[in-house]
Amino acid sequence: MVMSLLNTRDTTNSKTRSVRLLRNNASIILIYTIILIVIGIAFFVNENFRSPSNLINILRQSIILGLIAIGQSMIALTGGLDMSVAQVARIVGLTVASIFAISGSNPTLIMPLIILGLLIGGTIGLLNGILVTRTHANPFIITLGIASILRGVNLAISSTPIRGIPKPYLHIYDYKIGIVPLNVLVMILVWILVYIFTTRTRNGRALFAVGGSERVARLSGINYNKTLIMAYIICSIFAAMTGLFLLSRTGVGDPSAAEGMDFQSIVAVALGGISLYGGKGSIIGTMGGVLLLATLSNVFNLLQVNIYYQQLFLGLIVLITVAAYKSPRSS
Amino acid sequence: MKPTTDITVTKSTRISNFSPSVRFIRTVDLIGQWAAPILIVFVLLFAAIVAPAFYLPTNLKTILIQVAVLGIVAIGQTLVLLVRSLDLSVSAVLALGAVIVVQTQAGGPIWISIIEAFFIAAIIGAANGLLITKRQVPPFVATFGMLVFIQGARLAYTKGQASGTVPELLRAISFKQVGPFPAAMLVWVVVNIIVLFLLQKTHYGRWIYAVGGNPAASRYAGIPVDTVIIIVHVICSMFAMLGGLLLSGYIGYVDLRLGADYNTNSIASAIIGGTTFTGGRGNLYGTAAGAILLIILLNIVVVLGLPVHWQYVVQGCVLVLAVALQGFRQFLLSK
Repeated sequence: MVMSLLNTRDTTNSKTRSVRLLRNNASIILIYTIILIVIGIAFFVNENFRSPSNLINILRQSIILGLIAIGQSMIALTGGLDMSVAQVARIVGLTVASIFAISGSNPTLIMPLIILGLLIGGTIGLLNGILVTRTHANPFIITLGIASILRGVNLAISSTPIRGIPKPYLHIYDYKIGIVPLNVLVMILVWILVYIFTTRTRNGRALFAVGGSERVARLSGINYNKTLIMAYIICSIFAAMTGLFLLSRTGVGDPSAAEGMDFQSIVAVALGGISLYGGKGSIIGTMGGVLLLATLSNVFNLLQVNIYYQQLFLGLIVLITVAAYKSPRSS
Repeated sequence: MKPTTDITVTKSTRISNFSPSVRFIRTVDLIGQWAAPILIVFVLLFAAIVAPAFYLPTNLKTILIQVAVLGIVAIGQTLVLLVRSLDLSVSAVLALGAVIVVQTQAGGPIWISIIEAFFIAAIIGAANGLLITKRQVPPFVATFGMLVFIQGARLAYTKGQASGTVPELLRAISFKQVGPFPAAMLVWVVVNIIVLFLLQKTHYGRWIYAVGGNPAASRYAGIPVDTVIIIVHVICSMFAMLGGLLLSGYIGYVDLRLGADYNTNSIASAIIGGTTFTGGRGNLYGTAAGAILLIILLNIVVVLGLPVHWQYVVQGCVLVLAVALQGFRQFLLSK
């Protein structure tokens, strides 16, 4: 009864409704408008950009950042940030590569090693989650410390590229179903699943509650610790998946893999309008942030902009983005 | 109206199911305050048994210089932590200082380029502070963005190949022997005394503690909270610059990775020394002890002949343990 009343009021007053819709999703609309503008400009300026293969390439490259960023968004929703994602991706890639190398690139090991990689990611996520919930410490600094430890362990595993990845594993990155590359498909699937998870399930909604207020979340019967630990595990598993895809793309266990990804994922999250104080935002926005970064990087490469200027530009974007949004919550 | 979910109070949903005794809280508080000095004693004993080469005079001199550089950067980090903020751009400022001085020494007197370097550091600190106070950007995001921006600017300016000879003056302030100590050590002690005076004898110093302890109450009490935070960030960046000048003087050349670990290390020194990241608690003695502890540990890795990357593991472990300890201590004290 109440619902139908509300509905009729909304439809009769459709103008305020559309205004509200616009206001609630302002950051998402903004980011996709910017993407369209960037793509529009690139379309006219550079003919290489227009080719279908390049456009598919942008999508394919965005999976690396996309997976990490989606995990990062979940942590950001809880009001934290995970600084260890890049190192998790790296340790998974290096471990899998070194086991391949020791076993003489045995192709039957592919499936067990993929599972092992995901398990490593999950374990590190569990460790992060336990440390964050048990010590009541700032998640950012805790994961920064874990990242430092992992960096050392990674260099201990190998400081030179590891060769000896079996051929079938290398095909994972190039594999196509029809004309759609497998990894694009994986990414779309992951995005849909995570979207449903964060908007339609109890555990997913709990992420927002936890990010909003620890006290209120606990009082509403949400298991605060469990929700946080779950978020960190999921985030690290996505980072592990990134590591596995990167290994397949580069073909060697690279000790400098995923360099700078921790920061780029935060940029994507911030660009997409998820409040870095937690509790507000949408996965769709993060996807926009990832696509924008991937498109920009593609355009820069086509225009042959010096990598150092690219980094300067990235820092500039981030400063402008964070300066542009003002958090409603003050100290 | 029917409630959608049943709320059951279980162990996990209760706000607090943990009521520690006063004695336990006091013990953890004492451990939190004295962790660094106690650990230093143990580590020194450990070094005496396992790695006697640690006590060679040349090694000790190296340690003193490194402690001085890290100590100065960590003082700035402590001040920033005291007002509930964080500065991740110190490593970039540190590296920038060396580059500026080396690049500008080609023409003109050294004094001008040093003043220029501190001026740039002050601008960076002010930008950090403004982002954090006026735009309410979370401190680690604002300063991390600044880190990437400065690194990009530095690499764009140097085209990725910065090296050069460090001016004689910088060599002198960091490496020259004054009595039994290297000059950098004296710089560190002087800076410590100045900041101690600032924190304990001036009302600005008391404001820093007040702002960190309770920003809202400080605002009602008429303290210019935003200005205090901005000035603290300016001071922190300028100390990072001073650290960068001393470090390049000590190393004698400028390389691209210069100072990259100083973010983690300066935060770790401050926190193991008893500064909490929730503000208002901490002092410079602890930070000094933290810096000494960290440098000794990192040095022992080298003296023992372990691969250098174990240093990352050591500094990560120190950071995680320190943060966990202080987080737990803060949690207990707030009860």
